[in-house]
Order: sequence, then C-alpha cells, then structure tokens
Amino acid sequence: MITFSAAIAWQSYAILGRHIRVHVRKWHTALLPPVCEPLIMLLAFGVGLGRQMSAITWDGHALDYLTYLAPGILAYTVFMTAFFQSLFSAYVRMHFQKSWEGQLATQVRLEHVVWGEALWAASMATAYAVMVCLVLLGFGIGGWLTLHWWWMLASVPLLFLAALAFSTIGLLFTATLPSMDHMGLPFFLVIMPIGFASSTYFPMPDIPGLSTIVQINPLHHLAEGLRQLLILGKPTWHLAATALLCVIMILVLIPIDMRLLRRRVFGDG
Amino acid sequence: MNQAVSQSAPLLQALNLSKTLGGKRVVDGVDITCAPGEVVGLLGPNGAGKTTSLRMCYGFLRPDSGSVRIAGHDLVTEPNAARRALGVCTQDDTFDADFSVRGNLEQTARYYRPRIEHLNQRIDELLQQFGLDVYANHMPEMLSGGFRRRLMIARAVLHKPKVVFLDEPTTGLDPDARVAVWQLISNLRAEGMAVVLTTHYMDEAERLSDRLLVMQAGKVRAAGVAKTVLGDVVGEHVVVLSTTDPQAAHVTAWLLQRQLRPAVVLGQWHIALNAAGLAAFVTTFPTLRYEVRVPTLDDLFLALAMERPA
Repeated sequence: MITFSAAIAWQSYAILGRHIRVHVRKWHTALLPPVCEPLIMLLAFGVGLGRQMSAITWDGHALDYLTYLAPGILAYTVFMTAFFQSLFSAYVRMHFQKSWEGQLATQVRLEHVVWGEALWAASMATAYAVMVCLVLLGFGIGGWLTLHWWWMLASVPLLFLAALAFSTIGLLFTATLPSMDHMGLPFFLVIMPIGFASSTYFPMPDIPGLSTIVQINPLHHLAEGLRQLLILGKPTWHLAATALLCVIMILVLIPIDMRLLRRRVFGDG
Repeated sequence: MNQAVSQSAPLLQALNLSKTLGGKRVVDGVDITCAPGEVVGLLGPNGAGKTTSLRMCYGFLRPDSGSVRIAGHDLVTEPNAARRALGVCTQDDTFDADFSVRGNLEQTARYYRPRIEHLNQRIDELLQQFGLDVYANHMPEMLSGGFRRRLMIARAVLHKPKVVFLDEPTTGLDPDARVAVWQLISNLRAEGMAVVLTTHYMDEAERLSDRLLVMQAGKVRAAGVAKTVLGDVVGEHVVVLSTTDPQAAHVTAWLLQRQLRPAVVLGQWHIALNAAGLAAFVTTFPTLRYEVRVPTLDDLFLALAMERPA
C-alpha cells in the first residue's frame, strides 16, 4: 500500500525538506502572519469586543470572552493554516510553478509529493500554532489570560494530527479546482461552514440538526477539547473525538486525493 | 550521427506499451529500445502518441499493458533503481523557481538515493560544461530560454543516469541556442548515455538521431535510420510542380489512376514516387516543368498527414 507507506518514505521527507528550506529563507516575512493574526484577533475580539460583553457562560463556567476565545484561536489557526497551505500554496506549486513535475522527474513519485505537501501543511500549521501559543503566553504574562500552560505543550501532537487531517481537505480542492478563479469556492464551501459550526468564536446554540453537524466537525471537538484542557486543565473525550475524526479523514481522503491528483497532474487514473 | 553505437544490451527496453486515455487508445503496442551511446528520435505529428509513450517510459504514466526496463530494472517492480538510472528533461521548464541555478541542482540532488557522490564537484562540473557557471547564483527566471533549457538538461543528468529522455528539448529556442543544445546532447551520447528525444524539428531529428521511430495514431509507423524511414513512408524521390501548371489536369488524372495523393504546399504539389514511378512520370510528361529532389523528414510529416483519416 504505497498510498500510506509513502508517508514514511525518504522521498516524502525530501519534499518536506524542500518546503522547510524555502520557508526558513523567508523567515522574516513568514513570521508575521502567525504573530500578527492572533494578536489582532485577541486584541480586536478578545479585548475590544470582550469589554463590551458580560461574562460568557460555557460548560457551567462564567468566563470573560478573551479566555473563551484563546483556545478557539489556537484551533482555528491550525485549521486555516493547514487548509490554506495545502490548497493555495500547493496549487501554485503544482499549476503555476510546475515544481511538482520537476520533482516527479526524479525518484520522487506522486504519492511522495502528496505526502510531502500534507506533512508540510501540517508542520507549518503546527509551527504557527506554537507561535500563537507564544502570543497567548504573552497575554498571560501581561496578566490578561490564565491558562494551563503545560497542557498547551502537551497538545502539540494532536494539533499536528488535526492539521494533517485538514490538509487532506485542502488537497482535495487542489485536485479539483478548475482554475485559480475558483479559489473562493472552498472558502465558502469549507472554511466558513466548518469555521462557524465549530465553537471557535462562540458557543454553539443547541439547535436540532446543527448539533449533529457540530458533532462530526473535528474543528469543534478540537476547539472544545483545547478549551477544556487549557481553561479547566481537563483532558476530555473531545480530544479523543478529534483524534478519531482526524484519523478517519486521513484514511478516507488521502487515497481520494491521490487518485484525483493523478488525474490532474498526469491526465491518468 | 554516431557510427559506433554500442552493440551491448539496450539500456531502455520498453516493450508492447499501450495506453488508453479518456476512452481513446493513445498508444497501441509500441516498442522503444535504446542502446548505450545511441540517440533515438521519436517523431510524429501532434497526437501521434510520442509524449504519452515517453511519459510511460519515465514513469509519469502507468502503461495499460507492456513493460519498461531501465538499465535492467523494471519500472514497476523496482521503481527506485529504475528511476535512479533515468533522467528526464520535460517539455516545459519545471525547475524550482524558489532556488537559484546552483540551488536547483543542489535541491534536485536531494531527490536521489543513493546520494550523488562528490556532489559539489559534480555541480561545478555541470555548471561549467553547460555554460551556466556565470549564472550559478541567478534565479532561473532571469535566464534566457536557451540557458533555461541548459539548466533543465543539466538537472536531468546531474545523477549520471544511464538513460535520458528529452521531450522537445529545443522547442522555442533561437538557432544559436538550438545548436548549443545539440552539442550538449551529442556530448551525452559520447558519454555513453542512451538518449531518447522527441522533436518537431526535422533537421534536429536527422542530425542528432542514430535511429528514428515514426509514430502515427499511437503506433510505430516506421523505424530505422532516417533514409530507411523515408524510403518506407515517403518513397525515393519527390517531384515538385505548380498546381496551376497548364498540364495540371493531366497530372491529376495520372495521380488518380495510380491512386496517389500528393501533398499541397503553397500552391505546389509534392509527389512522392519510387524509382519506377518517377520513370513513368518522366515518360508521361516530357514537356512539364518540375523539380525532382530527395525526400526530407518534412515530406515524411506531410505523408503521415495525408494518411490520417479525414
């Protein structure tokens, strides 16, 4: 089963290494989004909007909005970064730069390129998440946030797994989008629905139907799991649900991604 | 052309390749072999199946049937060993735009195992050999078309492959740059590599190739040295005359009688004939003004186009 064994092949890590090498060279610009985005969000919504609101009731606890928002931003960063990297950046490399074709003319095969892209998206999302953690830590040092900081460190492997799963959705669109002009579609079809039905920015209302959708949304479980972990210091079933849903996504979507990308890149399959 | 192509076992053995894409049989039972120090030219009109055949040979496409062996390694069962022994220069420029010229070679080296020995020395050697040393630290998009192609070929041979595939290596280049690339290809042959190239340029195919494979509608229509291929497909002579000649109607009737379809190029008939046909033509039209010349690969393309169903 090369589809999955390619995840540990040296070629996949050669591709991952290539992306890291390029990114490290651009570290000064690469550093801006993971630092600025959460900073702006926390200041605008957590502090700005939060000051206009009374305490939020979540899981029987009264919280200020900044505390509620912080784990949500961490989860959302993982989701957005992985999705964006595996969609937009991978599409540019595949379609415009044609660097995939250059790689495929060597000992690297399509399975390795796909895994390399997914691993890179996951690595980058995890690195961004770590940057967000540092920003949150800054808020903690400033006395605006109180979280269980050590649990933050422990959550990194799960963040990586979640990012890997989210990248498989991005690759699905990389394989199927007819052109760059259609790049807005996944934002409306995936990012907004998954993002808003996820408890990242506000507690989900208990509406029949919506509750079912929320239960199969890995981002919801990730946000809620991180919230319980970081605010209450309690690992809960949400974390296990996140891991399970993510593993299912990877097992189902990676073979589909590869089949569709084979058709896209080689006109075959 | 190389007069001393090695008689040893072929480094490329692609046998009975077939491929259906989008419900259409694009390649149908094609055999391609190439010996050390040999250049095989793959010719044919657009849609003949050249690029698809080549893509199966270097592993971009999986054949529906048939097998590909590179330096004795099966491309399906021993993909790593087979791919380590082949180099590819694709039709499009596919260098990595995020790396300099030298960086491209360094990065490409990371896609090979076992690792390339004495890599820095090898890169220096290639930069010098391909005239890229002055551009080593430039980004590839700053290079002219000819130097981009050089970089593509340098990248394809970085790991010292045994078989090199060059897909239209000189398309879009000016004459100077084309000649420079020809010289590089000639050098690869001299180094003992088996080179398979596709091209639309007839002069290029004739000058570079030791052997031609002419493809049409997914099949090999003719194979061999240029002269043999031309004789098989076109004929021995080509008669060129104006379509507005006063005797044109008689010529048309003569052609129809012999079931010959001449190519029409800019108001001139190009009639391919064998020796007996030419003798008959001369006897039939003693007062006609025409030119007789030897066939070229351009005539081959025209002949193939005439054979194509309407």
